[in-house]
Amino acid sequence: MVLEVQLTTDLAIILLGATVLGFLAKQTGQPTIVAYIIAGVILGPAVLGIVGVTELTDALSELGLAFLLFLLGIKMQLEDVRHILVPIIKISIPQMAAVALAGMGISVVLGFTLLESVLIGLAVMYSSTAVVVKMLNDKDEATSLHGKIDVGVLLVQDIVVVILLAVLAAGRPDDIAEIATTLAIVLVLAALVTVAAIGASQYVLPHVFRRIADNTEVFFLIALSWAFLFVFISDEINLFLAPFGIEAYLSIEMGAFLAGLAIAQLPYSKELRDRVNPLTDLFVMIFFVTVALTLERNELLFYWQEALLAAAVLMPVKFVIFFSLINWQRFSLETTFLGSINMIQISEFGIIVGVAAQQGGFIGTEVLGFLTLLALVTMGVSVYFIEFNHRLFERVEPVLSRWAVDGEFQESKKTYRDHAVVIGLDEVSNTALPILTDRYEDVLVVDRTVDHIEQLEAAGYDTLYGDVQNTTIRKDAAIKAADFVLSSSVQTEINKAVLREAADDATVFVEARRIDDARELYDEGANSVLMGPHLAAVRLERYLEMYFEDRTKFQHLIEGDKEMIELKVDHSTAIVEGDLDE
Amino acid sequence: MSELLTTISLMFIITGPFLLIGNRFDLPTVPFLIIAGIVAGFVIDENLALELARYGIALLVFMFGIRIDLTNARPILRDSEVAAIGQILVVGGLGIGVGILFGIPLAEAVYLGIAVAFSSTIVGTALLQTEIRQELVRGRLAETIHFIQDLVAIVILLVLGAETLTADPIATQLGYGVVLFALAFLLDRYLLDVVGRLADDSDELMIIGIISLLVLFVAAATLAGVSIVVGAFAAGLAIRYNPVEHPGLFNGLVSIRDFFLAIFFVTVGALVVVPFVELGVAASVEKLLLVVGLVILTAVIKPVVTTAILIKSGYEARTSTLTSLSSDQISEFALIIAIEALLLEMLTQNVFDAIILAAAVTMITSSLTQQYNERIYRAVSSWITFEGTHAKIDERSSVPERPTEHVIIVGYGRKGQLLVDACENSDLPYVVIDNDPARLDSISSACDAYVFGDAMEMYTWDKANVEAATLVVSTVNSTPVSNRLLSFDFEADLILHTDDAAEGVTFFERGALYVSVSDVLAGEELAQQLRRLFDDGLSPEQLREERIAELNTYVAVVKDRDSGIVDVSQ
Repeated sequence: MVLEVQLTTDLAIILLGATVLGFLAKQTGQPTIVAYIIAGVILGPAVLGIVGVTELTDALSELGLAFLLFLLGIKMQLEDVRHILVPIIKISIPQMAAVALAGMGISVVLGFTLLESVLIGLAVMYSSTAVVVKMLNDKDEATSLHGKIDVGVLLVQDIVVVILLAVLAAGRPDDIAEIATTLAIVLVLAALVTVAAIGASQYVLPHVFRRIADNTEVFFLIALSWAFLFVFISDEINLFLAPFGIEAYLSIEMGAFLAGLAIAQLPYSKELRDRVNPLTDLFVMIFFVTVALTLERNELLFYWQEALLAAAVLMPVKFVIFFSLINWQRFSLETTFLGSINMIQISEFGIIVGVAAQQGGFIGTEVLGFLTLLALVTMGVSVYFIEFNHRLFERVEPVLSRWAVDGEFQESKKTYRDHAVVIGLDEVSNTALPILTDRYEDVLVVDRTVDHIEQLEAAGYDTLYGDVQNTTIRKDAAIKAADFVLSSSVQTEINKAVLREAADDATVFVEARRIDDARELYDEGANSVLMGPHLAAVRLERYLEMYFEDRTKFQHLIEGDKEMIELKVDHSTAIVEGDLDE
Repeated sequence: MSELLTTISLMFIITGPFLLIGNRFDLPTVPFLIIAGIVAGFVIDENLALELARYGIALLVFMFGIRIDLTNARPILRDSEVAAIGQILVVGGLGIGVGILFGIPLAEAVYLGIAVAFSSTIVGTALLQTEIRQELVRGRLAETIHFIQDLVAIVILLVLGAETLTADPIATQLGYGVVLFALAFLLDRYLLDVVGRLADDSDELMIIGIISLLVLFVAAATLAGVSIVVGAFAAGLAIRYNPVEHPGLFNGLVSIRDFFLAIFFVTVGALVVVPFVELGVAASVEKLLLVVGLVILTAVIKPVVTTAILIKSGYEARTSTLTSLSSDQISEFALIIAIEALLLEMLTQNVFDAIILAAAVTMITSSLTQQYNERIYRAVSSWITFEGTHAKIDERSSVPERPTEHVIIVGYGRKGQLLVDACENSDLPYVVIDNDPARLDSISSACDAYVFGDAMEMYTWDKANVEAATLVVSTVNSTPVSNRLLSFDFEADLILHTDDAAEGVTFFERGALYVSVSDVLAGEELAQQLRRLFDDGLSPEQLREERIAELNTYVAVVKDRDSGIVDVSQ
């Protein structure tokens, strides 16, 4: 009965617990993921036992993973990824085989049965998408070269885990042929969904999103709708295949990633990141807290010594395997090191594989507890390695340098420096564009209107679609490195943010409506604050006096203004027609 | 994938095409979410999403509470509170009456009254964005009316929590509610500061921390047995802050709210038992008749009543009509009240459905009336002469002797004030035209001659004796007003304002003596400064000093007029 609907306390407790530990972590300089995992351990059956997994938390944590991958997809430019596809395959397949063997060996040494050891091996070969992608996002390294390698490897692992889960769900496989069929079907499906996503990004999405890009709310909801479409299809693909007598699954993570990838190819995708990010943060937090919620204390701690030992051995082993493989693909030493150190943990998929294996009757709950503890410990520890990966690299670089190769993959992204940034195209900033083009090699215009962006691009300007209120956009516009910034926004807070971000020696022009705002902006370091309405008011006052005192002079003045306005209109049309640069 | 996640996925997938259609025709989002929900209702189990939907409600109310600025609210409230409360009583009463006519028991008819009385803040203010940005009287007026209605709606939700309508539980409920609000006022941003300090600039922790606080308040409300809406509102009040202080937090909360709110509206739609499809013919007809009744009340009677009340409280006919046309829809708060009442079994499915359907319809019609508001006003005013308006203008205007060879200044914003000063300095006769009641006091104390009326009305101009005037200066940045002034074809010279250079050129062509385009002037000033920087070797620091000095001179000139925080955009 609907009458019974109350907000469940579990979610509230999870939120509060995560908040308290999150604050503690922040104050002591620890990464938040560790705080969330510990919150889960404390709140869950292992310690206090006040929270269990509910339908709601379960759905939200699944959503967390899906959104995390969607967000990641939104950040990926196809042409940036294409050239590293082959190396990624060459790295990921041997890596999984090697780690699985290592995991198996350790398990046998630790006294697990052979079957248990094989399954443990299969469970530990993945690195954690949640940890790595979340950390890459937080550190803003998702689109760096090592970030892309890691993400690529994680996606290949994703495909493998989906296949493995399908096999485990079917019970003990009869023969190799069955596994091969499942593998083939999953690969074909993944390829089909990829083609659909990329095809849509070429032919369908540009038209759809062109229309809605100016309405932030609709844009956001349609993007979510698009993401859910892929999530749904990936998850329910069985429904579509059942009539053909085929059984197969795809992961919702992969669907979400591809949905994001399709949107990423559009010029309007940047702003979406800042919209999806908060939802992702919230749901991923729930994901990390709920990881530890399934197990009782004695199950979790039954093999605690073995788990700690395995963690201590597996993390360095994983690092060495990744390092040799990425190095073998001739990436630079730094990329190799960072790409490897990020991937040393055991994945949440390890737990999921464990659950499937336990349900399939391959292993007992205690082994599942071992896997869970192993994953929790390695995730927690690896977060510190990722957090401080650059500093670590500086320390170990001399030792590693003998493995250095000539880096084959160089990033060729355009980076702005000493350029001019114009925020918002309007009558005022429009006047400045030709003058700035004469002076600066790069003039970048940031605007939130699709029409403006198209006009400017036609006229040959560099453009960035998005709202400067978003940090991502400010970063992409490289306001920090700009020599000149003109903001035609009259929102003082935006202008203040721009002023704070701009370098001390940069020249910054802003607009304001009120005198008090103008003063504040000068205090923040503005070089000039334009106040159009005040200017107009003062001029009009002067004209009024002139009108009654000296009509000829008045006529003369207004003729000048009139010409200016007409010139302005011609000039604006010039931008549309794209002949400004001539 | 869990069943709940499948449900949410389907909800969003179905919503997509409907949003595209709505956007294609520039219609608001909310009704299309509801319609998508009605369709989704056939394939999903909406009860699964009810809990998420209630988070949507909580977040909506919470964000409403956050934005309440108690220091600024006072002076605006006075303007329209009579109008808002009068409208709620009259229209609400009519709604209850219609319900009883349909044979609905009084206890349920009350909800019909509630539904028709409140207008939607989301839809109304979204439609009015331009008016609000231009700070037109009707934008501010409509905003205030919506605001007061939302407050009253929250009080009703507070009372609604008491499941039986006997006096005693209501008293207890109110008691708990008051305690929560008192707590909110005592905390007064203290919590926000604490969270801000602990989160240490991390948007992620800031958002999670603030959501936790919201959940705490909601939990307290649940424990006390009052509606979660009350808890969420109190949480908003306790945290209330200026969105620009923590833009990351605000944008994050908006994203999260939009996500859950979409689920709420779709769920509401899915709860509807669709006439004819899921229901027999007789019952369907009955339900649809009720829907029609509600739509007529909301989209026709309500604006009429509101207009009448506004005219009575001193606004002139055009402002009143246009304001009313922006509140002719059913509120999202009415939806919340309806869903709460349905869950408490105080409302039958039939009445609930009628309210939801009528809400979807009126939200769409409302954007149409908004689009054609000027035409509707023209049409209405040609049938009915708004009685007493001329008398009102006469009563509130002061034009001592019929002026000749004078200047008529439209709008008493900063520009208008500067012009009045200029006239007074040169001993020129002038008449000010304005229609903002909030400015009446300052106009009457500072100006010798003024007409308090709408510049769109000829009577106002007769009153200002435009035939004998030398010059008309409009400081109002509004295309309809400028067009109207050009079409009057006065003998006097005409000076206009606009933001758009192209429009400025057409105004010149159509006979304006001068058009002030502030952006062009600012652009010219900017170009000059840039040339001096790049070509004449002026250093950025020199420019800065020069500009600050200029500002100081300017402030010194206008200092005696006021503190310098008045906007000049009008």
